[in-house]
Amino acid sequence: MSVGILLGKQNRDGGWAYVRGASWTEPTVYAVLALLAAGEDAAANRGLDWIRARQLPDGGWPPQTGVDESNWVTGLAALLPPDRLGALAHGRAIEWLLRTTGEESTAIFRLRRWLLGNSPSRIEPTGWPWVRGTAAWVTPTSIAVMALDKESTRSLSKEVRTRVASGRQFLIEHMCVNGGWNHGSVRVYGVDGVPYPETTGVGLAAIRGVRSPATERAVSVAQGFLKDCRSADALNWLRVGLLAHGQLPADYNPPPIAYRTLIETSVGMLVAETQKGRGIFWCSGEEIGGAA
Amino acid sequence: MIRVQRDNPKLTRREVLTAGSAVLLAGCGIQQRPIVPSRVSIVKAPAYDQSLYGTVMGLVREHLGDSVRGKRILLKPNLVEFEPDTSINTHPMIVHAAFEAFHALGAASVRIAEGPGHRRNTLDLADAAGYFRTVPRFEESFVDLNLDDVTRVHPLTQFSRIRKLYLPNSVLGADLLVSLPKMKTHHWVGATLSMKNLFGTVPGGIYGWPKNVLHWAGIDESIADLHGAYPRQFAIVDGIVGMEGNGPIQGTPKKAGVLVAGRDPAAVDATCCRIMKIDPMQVQYLRLVAGKGDAHITEHNIQQMGESIESVATPFELIPQFQNLRLESA
Repeated sequence: MSVGILLGKQNRDGGWAYVRGASWTEPTVYAVLALLAAGEDAAANRGLDWIRARQLPDGGWPPQTGVDESNWVTGLAALLPPDRLGALAHGRAIEWLLRTTGEESTAIFRLRRWLLGNSPSRIEPTGWPWVRGTAAWVTPTSIAVMALDKESTRSLSKEVRTRVASGRQFLIEHMCVNGGWNHGSVRVYGVDGVPYPETTGVGLAAIRGVRSPATERAVSVAQGFLKDCRSADALNWLRVGLLAHGQLPADYNPPPIAYRTLIETSVGMLVAETQKGRGIFWCSGEEIGGAA
Repeated sequence: MIRVQRDNPKLTRREVLTAGSAVLLAGCGIQQRPIVPSRVSIVKAPAYDQSLYGTVMGLVREHLGDSVRGKRILLKPNLVEFEPDTSINTHPMIVHAAFEAFHALGAASVRIAEGPGHRRNTLDLADAAGYFRTVPRFEESFVDLNLDDVTRVHPLTQFSRIRKLYLPNSVLGADLLVSLPKMKTHHWVGATLSMKNLFGTVPGGIYGWPKNVLHWAGIDESIADLHGAYPRQFAIVDGIVGMEGNGPIQGTPKKAGVLVAGRDPAAVDATCCRIMKIDPMQVQYLRLVAGKGDAHITEHNIQQMGESIESVATPFELIPQFQNLRLESA
């Protein structure tokens, strides 16, 4: 059923739109991951061709054809198995991620803060922005951390491990006071921010393996959301996040809710594969579309 | 029924001063550009009930009339957060009333479109805000502006550091963009009304959630640039129950009992400010657009229709850092 939806919505150029119209990188990556997991290689390969053709000279990907700047979706593309995306293209994506930080972590911005006399007392952890020239936020940081963490199992790069650790620390420091994450603001309009279910799920997935009281608070918040949430997008990510920590209740069954978007359908399929132990968002057991 | 506020043939003090200024400028040999006042309507609307449909139809007909026929209309409400029983989001009945009015007046198409800045799952947000229950076949009429196809544009004005911007084709292709915001105070810019509502036209699919690029470029300046990017606008502000205090999310509901409408968003927003007892001349983004001379925010350049400001004005509570925005007369 879900496979049929993805196949039916594939554009003639091999990519997928968010809703309708031109192909975008984000829905195309999720659809390709889901189809690789389902063994639908022909459609997945057409999607991979579309993705490879859109890589920009700087190694990153734009969100859509015609946009001339790489952005956070480069982290998503780097989640694809290197042997399916192509080792060279994948390696350039990893390099792009390593070169990219939130604007607040750039040397120029730090110098400016120092000159203005408001430097922080320590080097703050580094995350990733949605677009270059702006601050780091939870979702792009989480996606980049997951991609680099997968990469760290393939390479011995110290730089990769350092960015993963720093990204995870960024996430922990941008957690809401009582646990969980919103888009990344501990304070929102002058008061304590409240967590969102979808970003709590993605943040938890990124700090997989981190044992700390902060992790426990986030798990607790996610489990609370799981009981009441009726958003397919949010429930998908909550399940991914809880699976990352082995905390999704074994008897959990999602409520009967409609998948309204293509990404919800794709990620829903990926959740099911993750529950089977397949490696999609992190390396575990059999990696989809590639070697074990 | 909409009526012109001032029908008294006696000259007011302001009119005497304006006329005097014109005579002085003419005497100095300076040619004053004739100003056509922007028309802004204020109508009382005590509750979200069926009477809104007639009220909104009256506003649309009064300002746009037959010009709507055959046009592609895009309605842009303000959807921000899921919290039920708050006054964060534009009430769905206002949106449905506008949807029906534009259809009835012969629009070729009417779409509802929004691109929230905090939450990615827009349809879930619209569902939680009651849009699915209120607008029949809502999903068929709705465009998620965060995920719409885009075109690169260069803002006509350059108040911010933004030199290029990708904007949704659904908005750029509309014959008329109808801003349907909530009347709220705002933690960063003082007041969020029809112009600030345009932040929701900047696609998250390109810039992320939140649309941080606008913050880095300057919030007030970005509002002014977005205003310049859309030359064909109409605004109806939902001030039936607005928000005061620490808006646009954490404030408290404030009943003002009005709808405010007009074709010049700056004039509409300036009028809303006066109703909220906020001095529009102290709201930076309004000053920016007024300084370009293509928008009217001074009272004598606004032709007030319907209720008078004085008859509906009610002070909206302001956070401490914005106490300087308070109208002196309040």
